Amino acid sequence: MNASTVTRQPASGRPVLLRWAPLLLLLAFAFALPLVVRSATYLHILILLLLYAYLTTSWNLVGGFAGVLPLGHAAFVGIGAYTSTVLSLQYGLSPWIGMILGGMISTIVGVLIGLPTFKMRGAYFALATIAFAEGLRVMVENLDRLGPFRLNGPRGLQIPPLEVGFGRLMFAEKEPYYYIILTMLVLAVGITWAVSRSKLGYCLAAGGEEPEAAQSLGINVARLKLIAMAISSFLTSLAGTFWAQFTLYIHPKSVMSLDISFEIAFIALIGGRGSIAGPLLGALLLRPVSDFSRIHFGDTLPGLHLVIFGVVLILVMLYQPRGLQEPLTRLYRRGMQRLFGTGEGG
Amino acid sequence: MIHLLEDTINGVLMGSIYGLAALGLTLIFGVLKVINFAHGSLLMVGMYAAYWAVLLTGVHPYLALVFVLPLMFAFGYLLQAVVIQPIFKAEREVREPITVIIVTTGVWYILDNLALLVFGPQYRNIQDNPLRGRMIEAGEMLISVPKLWGFCAAVATAALIWLFLQKTRMGRAVRATSLDRDAASLQGINPYKIYNIAFGLGTAVAGVAGVALVPFYNIFPTVGVLFDIKCFIIVVLGGLGSIGGALLGGMIIGVIESVGPQFMTATWTEAIVYGLFLGFLFLRPSGLFGVKYDW
Repeated sequence: MNASTVTRQPASGRPVLLRWAPLLLLLAFAFALPLVVRSATYLHILILLLLYAYLTTSWNLVGGFAGVLPLGHAAFVGIGAYTSTVLSLQYGLSPWIGMILGGMISTIVGVLIGLPTFKMRGAYFALATIAFAEGLRVMVENLDRLGPFRLNGPRGLQIPPLEVGFGRLMFAEKEPYYYIILTMLVLAVGITWAVSRSKLGYCLAAGGEEPEAAQSLGINVARLKLIAMAISSFLTSLAGTFWAQFTLYIHPKSVMSLDISFEIAFIALIGGRGSIAGPLLGALLLRPVSDFSRIHFGDTLPGLHLVIFGVVLILVMLYQPRGLQEPLTRLYRRGMQRLFGTGEGG
Repeated sequence: MIHLLEDTINGVLMGSIYGLAALGLTLIFGVLKVINFAHGSLLMVGMYAAYWAVLLTGVHPYLALVFVLPLMFAFGYLLQAVVIQPIFKAEREVREPITVIIVTTGVWYILDNLALLVFGPQYRNIQDNPLRGRMIEAGEMLISVPKLWGFCAAVATAALIWLFLQKTRMGRAVRATSLDRDAASLQGINPYKIYNIAFGLGTAVAGVAGVALVPFYNIFPTVGVLFDIKCFIIVVLGGLGSIGGALLGGMIIGVIESVGPQFMTATWTEAIVYGLFLGFLFLRPSGLFGVKYDW
């Protein structure tokens, strides 16, 4: 847990507007980007970048603030993708409703998984989440139908692009997808920000760092972790629906693979888990590397980006264990201080 | 009925090779108290090393052990000394540093994808080797010869490791470090050197498993992932840190995999294995032979 993101800035100092200006500028930049970037390929890459930033921000609520290492979040992506897709294919239900329903199922599943696993220590928790996600994937691969719902096993589900429009969460162009995932990301970051400043956030941080000490202060660590898990699995699941509607084809290996779970964790760890900026920074740095190496070296040097990920991950863990956001945040603060005088202490 | 027996026997044999692969993982956990997520990848490296040793020198597949064993020991020793040790030094107070999981996951990704870069995605196997497809006929049953040798290798390796830990001076130092790192270092044992040796040994055992697999198994860059998760499951079933538990856990998985298809679609057995694993994690996390303290 990074203390610097939690400490409240004193109200004195520079005016409120100035304090928020960089953030607003960044937001305006993000919203204006599709006006400049017209290429469908680059927009696609940007959408995936935002999607992973969103997934990692959602993961961060458990993996960052609660101080455990979940490695099975692809399960929630899969639940979200399959719930909305099955309901829209078989019953014509709007994916937006399916998205919320999928989120609710994921929340229940997440809590059920959290109940026994949060008592476990580090490695066991990671292993249990892997086994759960992989077990779920194998089950979906083996099920042609689940009761009345058709899952199509390993062949997956195709979404025919018949009705285009906001209500169907399906568009001919990429721009609407970009704005939807950007809005989702802003909301998720807002939720993370609210959690990190709430009593829940402080208690989670305490429980993550020193479980025994927190418990002795009367904090019910296990219950707080469950709440964090519930929010996290709900948010993660929404991205699954978005993914399905964006690619229009899902199968167990695409939306439930172990690689997704690991990539989310990698992005968070390299960017800096337990901070708000970490997941965004991580996605911003890693996603382009992976996309561009896949485009340019996909044939000649397959897997290059994963070697780079691995090397960067190890270097960051060795030399900057709180992630790359820490030195950058420090730099940013120093820059702000130089610009606006030394009114703020820290 | 005879088929059931045949499947059970072949399941036990294959399972013992799984157990052999998991033996290194459990050894490393027993001493370092961390789960080495790169273990499957180390097995993959061992398989490629054995493959190339056989291909380049033309020796009998099992003789490749002469090359593979020292190579893998050195590789594991250096991996621990260079990559993992700094974290232990940085997080000295933490008994089970979570960062090591992350770093070994990084090693996993690097090794798997380097193998993909260097050797390409194609499946390789040693075509003309004397063991490929060899079967013993016992009554009406067919038993795979390379799997039988694998079983022998697993039992022999487990026995040798047990002897090393119990009877040698170094083995006693390893056990002491495993029990209490600080108390051991007060007795003049350098715990980091013990970690290097334990990691090297665990990696060498993965190499033995690689040599046992090479005569009848396909070799490809992500072959480790298949074994990685299986090894995690086996060591938790058998109890983390328990040598006999690893063998037994491996055999249980092997039997489920080979007998299961008699009763259900083959792919469902995988789901059963995951279910069993989760059940053990929830109800008896110390496994069959593990120590309660260690979970």
